[in-house]
Amino acid sequence: MFLTVTLSLLEGFLSTLKLFGLTLLFSIPLGLFICFGSINKLKIIRFPIRFIIWVIRGTPLMLQLIVIYYGPGLILGTSIWNGTSGRFIAALVAFVINYACYFSEIYRGGILSIPQGQYEAGKVLGLTNREIFTKIILLQVTKRIVPPMSNEIITLVKDTSLARIISVYEIIWNGSAFIKSDGIIWPLFYTGAFYLLFSGVLTLFFGWLEKKLSFFK
Amino acid sequence: MSILEVKNITKKFDNTMILKGIDFSMEEGEVISIIGSSGSGKTTLLRCLNFLETPDTGMIKVNGEVLFDGANIESNKRIQEEEIRKKRLHFGMVFQQFHLFPQYTALENVCLAPNLLKNKSSDEIKQEGMMLLDRMGLSDRMNNYPHQLSGGQQQRVAIARALAMNPDILCFDEPTSALDPELTGEVLKVIRSLADNNTTMIIVTHEMGFARDVSDKVLFMDQGIILEQGDAKEVIDNPQKERTKQFLSVMNKY
Repeated sequence: MFLTVTLSLLEGFLSTLKLFGLTLLFSIPLGLFICFGSINKLKIIRFPIRFIIWVIRGTPLMLQLIVIYYGPGLILGTSIWNGTSGRFIAALVAFVINYACYFSEIYRGGILSIPQGQYEAGKVLGLTNREIFTKIILLQVTKRIVPPMSNEIITLVKDTSLARIISVYEIIWNGSAFIKSDGIIWPLFYTGAFYLLFSGVLTLFFGWLEKKLSFFK
Repeated sequence: MSILEVKNITKKFDNTMILKGIDFSMEEGEVISIIGSSGSGKTTLLRCLNFLETPDTGMIKVNGEVLFDGANIESNKRIQEEEIRKKRLHFGMVFQQFHLFPQYTALENVCLAPNLLKNKSSDEIKQEGMMLLDRMGLSDRMNNYPHQLSGGQQQRVAIARALAMNPDILCFDEPTSALDPELTGEVLKVIRSLADNNTTMIIVTHEMGFARDVSDKVLFMDQGIILEQGDAKEVIDNPQKERTKQFLSVMNKY
């Protein structure tokens, strides 16, 4: 039984990891775009972007999952998310949008914390704005945002369990299935070990990254 | 021909006139010190020369080439980033707070901009960078990161970084104001040696003795105008205007 449960949970965890990895893959760069929008000089760009960030951060992720999954069906009359993979993609879209908005605010804080003098020093040396960002600002921002990003990313590991609300077969879903099929609840508790193990690995990784970036102040 | 001609530069922030019409010119190899109380517009003037601020009116010419013309203010607003970048390269700037790039070593700080400009080989740039740091007395500090250097050393790296771009005119914005008194000497010594090598420099400073010894000309700024200018020793030893006398007597008390 233990083996059956473990295999089933591993399968669910694979789906959890897939959701986690793909969410990061898309939301980290998307967050940067949103961030540039939210600090744009033009109000016509800045205001709508800030409005979206407010909505996304101001409503539960659970609700966003439901809206993104059921919304298109209600509006178009036919669901665009079909089957297991369709539900997974719907969850992914919700997670990417949600996390990109949170990341964008972390980036914004990081970018605004870099002293104006760094930009000016780059300018008087004749660097282009792009060079100033990529050669001077980016690494300093990266160093400063590692702690809040690691916080957010570890939260994401656990937030992936919300996807079960639209029947994405992630680890909690698989764990709780044993309640119905075999009348046992311990597999559900067992899922905690997977989360703990994974966040432990992430904690080690971010510790390493912080150390790696400690060569400058 | 003058290396730099500045005519009737004005600059307003919100509703406060910071610069109310600045005129001066300088020759190649000349050193000009700008003195005056805080808020008199010294730093704003330097920032206008470096295109960190855009003046409202006036004209800036370097070697006879018009870099800024307030009469064409409309077209100026649309000057491409690219053009401003080229114009900036006539000037070098050393900031009060150094503003070194923390993630690069001293040598990398010096070589970054020349490497991005790409008109020399990176070996050549590295050689020049090492030479410059050596001139600054930092040959044993080339591979240190800024946070491993003292304020005086950081400022000397910043001077080398500005020199690496071969500017026509090197500007200093209170280069020793953020330093401990015992570290100002080493920075002033370096600037003095640049002056001895005929580097054209504009120095905003509160070090009156230094301004008197090193510069050819002194501009005394007060409330957005140049109130008094002339030979450095004459202005500092024998100021003509009442305001200049008052400022210098306060400065000399400390």
